[in-house]
Amino acid sequence: MNRIRLSNGMFMAMIVNMIYAKAIGVTQGTISRLIGQDMWIATLLGTLQGLLIIYVLHWAMRRLPGRRITDLPSLGDALLGRWFGHLTALILVGFFLAGFGPIMITFVYHLKDYFLPEVPLAIFIVSGLAVGAIGCYYGLEVMGRLALLGILFIFLLNLLIVIGSIDEFDILNMLPVLEHGLPNALFASVHFDADWALAAMMAALVLPHAQDGLVRGGRFGAAGIAAGGVAIMIWSILEPAVLSAEVSSQYTVSCMKLARNAHVGTFLQRYEMIMIALYSVPVLFEIMFTLYAVSACSTRLFHLKSDKAAILPSAIALGAFGYWIVEDHFRAIRFLENIWPWIALPVAAGLPLLMLLLRLLLQKRTERAAPYPEEG
Amino acid sequence: MPAIRELLLEAFQPSLKDNEALVDAILGSSADLKKRKFALGGDTAVSGLLYYVAGLADSKVVELILRALVVQYRESHREKEGPETADDIVTGLLSNASAKSCSKAEEAITSVLTGDTLVMIEGVGEAIVVVSRGWEDRSIEEPVAENNVRGPRDGFTESIRTNTAHVRRRLRDPRLRFDEMVVGERSKTDVNIAYIEDLVKEGLVEEVKRRIGRIRIDAVLESSYIEELIEDEPLSPLNTVQNTERPDKVASALLEGRVAIFIDNTPSVLLVPTFFWQYIQASDDYYNHYWVGTFYRIVRYVALIISLVLPSIYVMLISFHHEMIPTSLALTIASGREVVPFPVLLEALLMELAFELMREAGIRMPKPIGQAVSIVGSLIIGQAAVQAGIVSPFMVIIVAITGISSFAIPSYSSSLAIRIIRFPLLIASGTLGLLGFATVFFALMLHALSIRSFGESYLAPASPFRARDQRDMVLRMPMWMLDGRPNFAQDEDRIGGRQRPKPPTPTEKG
Repeated sequence: MNRIRLSNGMFMAMIVNMIYAKAIGVTQGTISRLIGQDMWIATLLGTLQGLLIIYVLHWAMRRLPGRRITDLPSLGDALLGRWFGHLTALILVGFFLAGFGPIMITFVYHLKDYFLPEVPLAIFIVSGLAVGAIGCYYGLEVMGRLALLGILFIFLLNLLIVIGSIDEFDILNMLPVLEHGLPNALFASVHFDADWALAAMMAALVLPHAQDGLVRGGRFGAAGIAAGGVAIMIWSILEPAVLSAEVSSQYTVSCMKLARNAHVGTFLQRYEMIMIALYSVPVLFEIMFTLYAVSACSTRLFHLKSDKAAILPSAIALGAFGYWIVEDHFRAIRFLENIWPWIALPVAAGLPLLMLLLRLLLQKRTERAAPYPEEG
Repeated sequence: MPAIRELLLEAFQPSLKDNEALVDAILGSSADLKKRKFALGGDTAVSGLLYYVAGLADSKVVELILRALVVQYRESHREKEGPETADDIVTGLLSNASAKSCSKAEEAITSVLTGDTLVMIEGVGEAIVVVSRGWEDRSIEEPVAENNVRGPRDGFTESIRTNTAHVRRRLRDPRLRFDEMVVGERSKTDVNIAYIEDLVKEGLVEEVKRRIGRIRIDAVLESSYIEELIEDEPLSPLNTVQNTERPDKVASALLEGRVAIFIDNTPSVLLVPTFFWQYIQASDDYYNHYWVGTFYRIVRYVALIISLVLPSIYVMLISFHHEMIPTSLALTIASGREVVPFPVLLEALLMELAFELMREAGIRMPKPIGQAVSIVGSLIIGQAAVQAGIVSPFMVIIVAITGISSFAIPSYSSSLAIRIIRFPLLIASGTLGLLGFATVFFALMLHALSIRSFGESYLAPASPFRARDQRDMVLRMPMWMLDGRPNFAQDEDRIGGRQRPKPPTPTEKG
C-alpha cells in the first residue's frame, strides 16, 4: 500500500486553509450582527475552543499499540468494531455534506455578487467542483502542497488588506469593548467554532498521515488553529475598526466590503480582484477537501476499492446540495446562521470527546485484541 | 533463404568463402559498402577480405590496416608458417588503437555500419573488427538556443564521443561514469548515461537504465524520441526531462547528483530529474556577479508570469471586470477600442495566433528572409492593423510584451509549453472572467504540483518546501553560500563551505 506522507508544515497549512476562507467574511458578518464590534473577542474565544478540541482529537487518535489508525473511522473500528467505524464514516459524510453549504455560500457569493452577477449559478458550482475533483484525483499529498501555497497567498492577502485599510483604521470604532457582555461573545463564538469544526474533522481524516501526526499531531494541529486564528483576527479587527460593526453587519460577505474599500493612493482605487485571486486558494482547498472527505468516507461505507471511484458521485451529491443552498439567499443565511453551527459543533466536539472516552474505557481490551501486536 | 535476423546470429567459419557469403547475404550490395580483397603477407595462397563503409570509415586507417596485413605481416612472419588466430593478429600485428576479434556476425555487421573495418582471413575461424570511424563532423559551435554573454561558448555536436569529451574535460573526476546502451532496432543508436558515482541520487541510474531498456523503437533520430519514451508524465504539456546543448550545464547537473543522457547524432543532452524552476535559470546567472544574476533571474520570473497570464488578465478585465481598472487607464483603453469591431477575446486570439504565425515563419524561412518576415510582421502589419481599426493599440502592446517575455525564458522547449498553456487560460478568462481564470489556473497549478520527474517533485524546492535549496531558486546567492547540493544527492555538502572572502587583517599583511 502506498502510504500518504504529509509534512507537519502541510498539515498545519491545511488547517489554516480550511478555516480561513469562510471565517474572514461570512462568519465575521454573522458575528457582527450578534455582538457588534466585539467580533475579534468572539474569534479569539473560538480559537481557544478550537485549540482544546484539536488536542482532544489528538489524544483520541494518538498511537494505539497494535492498531493501524488511518483516520477517525478506523479508530472507531478499533474501539467498538466495524459497525462503529461505519457509523463514524456516515456521520462524517453527513457533516461534510452539510459543511459544503457554507463553503459554497462563501465561494459563490464572493464571485457572483461582486464580480459575475450574470453568470449562471450552476457554472460556479461545476467550476469549483471540477477543480476540487482534480485535486481529489491527485490525492492528499498534492492537496497538502496546495495548502502550503495557500499560506503564502493568505499572507499576501492579509498584507494587501492591511496596506489598503490602515489609513482608515479608527480604534474608536472598536469601543466599547464587551458591550454585549462575555456570555454573548461566547455564544457568538459558536459561529467561528463552526469554521474550525471543519478543520478539526479534516484533521480527524488526515492526522495519521502527517509526518508526526500520531505522536505530536496535537501540537501541530494547535499551531495550525492558532495561526489560522491570528490570520482571521486581522480581519475581525479591521472590519469593525475600518467599516464599523454596523456596516459589517449589513453584508453577508463583509470581507468583500472591506476589500472594496481598500485602496493604495489615488491611482490604485480598486484592487479587490487581486485579493480575490489570492483568496481562491483557500476557498478552492475547502471545496477540494470536502469532496475528498465525502468520497473517502463513502468508499469505506460502500466497500469500494478506490476512493477515486467515489469522486464523481460525491461531487454530484455535494453539487446538488450546494446548489440548493445558494440558490436562495434567505435559505442560505438561515442554514448558515441557524442550522450549520448546530450540526458542526456536536460532531466536531462530540466525536473526538466520545472517541477519547471510549479509548480510555476500552484501551486495554483493544490492545489485547490487536491484530498487529508487533507494530506497537 | 533464411531471414536476416537468423543470419545475424550465425558464427564465422574458417572458410573465407562461407564468411563472405554470410556477410554479402546480410549487407547485400550497396554503393557505399566497400569490399577489398588482399593476400595476407603477399602470399596469394592465404587470401583475406576487408569490409568498410565509405564515408563512415577513415580511408587512412583502412590503408594502415592493409599495410599491416600485406607488408608488415610478411616481414614479421618470415619464419612462421600459416595464419594464426584472430587474437594473435590483433595483438601481434595491428597497431590500431582499438581492434578485437569477433565470432558472431551480428557484432561484426553492427561495427561495420558504425564505421569500423571488418577483416576476415582464410583459415581463421573468427573475424577482426578494427575501429576506423572517421566521418566528417560539424565543428564545435556556440549553442543556438542557449546563448550567453559571459562563459564558455562551446556547444555539443552530433558526435556522442565529442560530447562526452566536452564533459570529461570539465570534470576530471575518476568517479565520472559513462554507461553505454544501444537503442533502436534499426538505428542502433549509441546512448551514454553519465553520472558521478558518489554523488548521483541512489537508484536513479538503475531507473534511467530500466526506462531506456524498455524502449522498443525502430530508430532514435533525436533525443526527443527518448525523452518522450522515458518521461514521468507523458500527457503533460510541461517538460519533466530537461535538454541542453551546453556542456557546462551538463557538468553542473552531474555535480548536483543528476544523470545526463547522451544520444548519438544529436547535440541535445537530456538531464534528469528536472525541476520547473531550472527552466528559468540561465548559465549567465552563475557567471555574472550574484547581484546581477539574482536581478535577471527575478526579471525572468516576471517574464514567466507575464507570458503566462498577461493576455488572460487583460481580456478578463476588459470583458468582465472593467471597474477594476483605474479610471484614467480605462478611458485610454476604451478610446483605443472604440473602432475595433471584435470582442476582446477574439481580438486577443487573433493577435496571439498572428504572433505565433510570424514566429513560426521566422524560424522556417532562410535566416535573412526570416528576419524580414519578423520586421514586416511586427512593425508593418501591426501598425496597419491598428490604423485599419482591426485591433486596438493596447492589444498590440499586450501581445508584444507577452511575446518578448516568452523569449526571455532561457529554455526554448519550456517557453513553447507556456505558450500552449496560455491559450486555454485565455479562452477561460474571456468566457467566464475571474471564475474561468481561477478554475483553469488552479487546475494547472494542481497538475504542476502533482507531477514528478524521476521520483522528485516537479515544483521542488518550492513545494515541497526546502529551505536550504532556496539559495538557488528565485535568488542566486553568492558562490560562498552555495555550499549544498539538492537533498537527493548522495553527498549533500559541496566541497568548500564558509569561504566568504575578506580583506586581509593588518597582521596577515605582515
